[in-house]
Amino acid sequence: MRVHVDYDRCEGHGLCTEQAPRLFSLDDDAELTYHAEGSDVPADQQALARAAIASCPVAVLRESS
Amino acid sequence: MTRPGAVVIVGESIAGLTAARELRARGYDGTITMVGREPEGAYARPPLSKDVLRDAAAEPGLAYPCADLDLQHVRSPAVALDCPARTVTTEDGRAVSYDALLVATGAAARRLAAPGQRGELVLRTLADARAIRERMDLAASVVVVGAGFLGMEVASAAVARGMEVTVIDTEPPLRRLLGPYLSGRLAARAAAAGVRTHQVAGPVGLVGDPVDGVALPDGRTLTADLVVTCAGDVPAVDWLSGTPLANPAGIAIDERCSTSLPGVFAAGDVARLGPPSDRGTGRTPFWSSAVAQGKVAAASMLGQESPLLPIDDYFWTEVLGLSVKVAGPLPPDGGPTSVEGDVDAGDALLRWDRPGLPTTVVAFGRKVPVGRLRAIARDGDTTTEEKP
Repeated sequence: MRVHVDYDRCEGHGLCTEQAPRLFSLDDDAELTYHAEGSDVPADQQALARAAIASCPVAVLRESS
Repeated sequence: MTRPGAVVIVGESIAGLTAARELRARGYDGTITMVGREPEGAYARPPLSKDVLRDAAAEPGLAYPCADLDLQHVRSPAVALDCPARTVTTEDGRAVSYDALLVATGAAARRLAAPGQRGELVLRTLADARAIRERMDLAASVVVVGAGFLGMEVASAAVARGMEVTVIDTEPPLRRLLGPYLSGRLAARAAAAGVRTHQVAGPVGLVGDPVDGVALPDGRTLTADLVVTCAGDVPAVDWLSGTPLANPAGIAIDERCSTSLPGVFAAGDVARLGPPSDRGTGRTPFWSSAVAQGKVAAASMLGQESPLLPIDDYFWTEVLGLSVKVAGPLPPDGGPTSVEGDVDAGDALLRWDRPGLPTTVVAFGRKVPVGRLRAIARDGDTTTEEKP
């Protein structure tokens, strides 16, 4: 699986970083970095990635294949 | 409690969906049936009063994926609960049996229309948001009844769309929720953007059939192309009539999200943790509390302990393009004890530190990660920033 991030709509709440801290992080200005951009989510991180997708209050994270 | 054979979750809300995900994360592989009343299934509601009112293009991005959770879906409103028989009856005549039940039906908009009076607009669902947006496409003016966070978000969207906006409330904008200091700042921001606020002495009524205006307590009537009621919410417990849970103040839960009925749990806007308070309802009808309660309820349904409390006091809103994010108790009294940055420029971190009590911290137009806000609220200490 891959995760698509709609950065334009991201509000920097950072709830995804609490669910999957190895995949998502926020810098000091609450700008989101997705660490698996352009590659498949590692198998051991997929459940966490889905939890992160579900945690976003503005639904800017999507699963893509 | 032993592992339930069948879990039923009533309400495709964020509380309900979070519980379903948490059940699977905890290894539960039995049947989970989600009973929902909306054809769209689970979707993100916070954008309904923001992006969705401005642009139809925001709609397709709202759906929450749940195909990985192996859920049984019943898309028909629940109409009755039979506790002795442990079944939920739906409007289309199905009887769904449960071993463990989660009530996550949320809340409905409080309405002001008289019986039979048509055309009142409220905002709780995607269908509501769509109806308001389509009316805004044709309207030049709007009156918003209620200056809480929902009312001010609707007002903000209307301003962004170039409409003439009037907001009515018995209190200044956002005063009940955010206290006098932030209310004053945000009211000034709204006024500068052209929003007119009418503070009234008592309850208002809707006039017209269909609704086209508001009757004020002083006898005047305000009319507009559009009238939107944002006058609070009422727990969606009507379908539970005849059971001890049908309390209009919300379903009482304990810290495990248990109700007074065996095998029945509740989470989210429908639930009330503790007795009704003097100031409000005892409910915390905010998104982050719904998520926290969904997780706790899932653990409890499996007879497991959750390390979490069923409360999370992270809250955010958006007023005239300015984002306000809060962690800690609301409303903060008086002025902030410290200000970092520039409040007038909409780029500040405000703190209300009180000895021996949790700090309230507000990111006022400034981007601050929720983890850092929570750490400040919890520890009252900016130096112990949470790092992933």
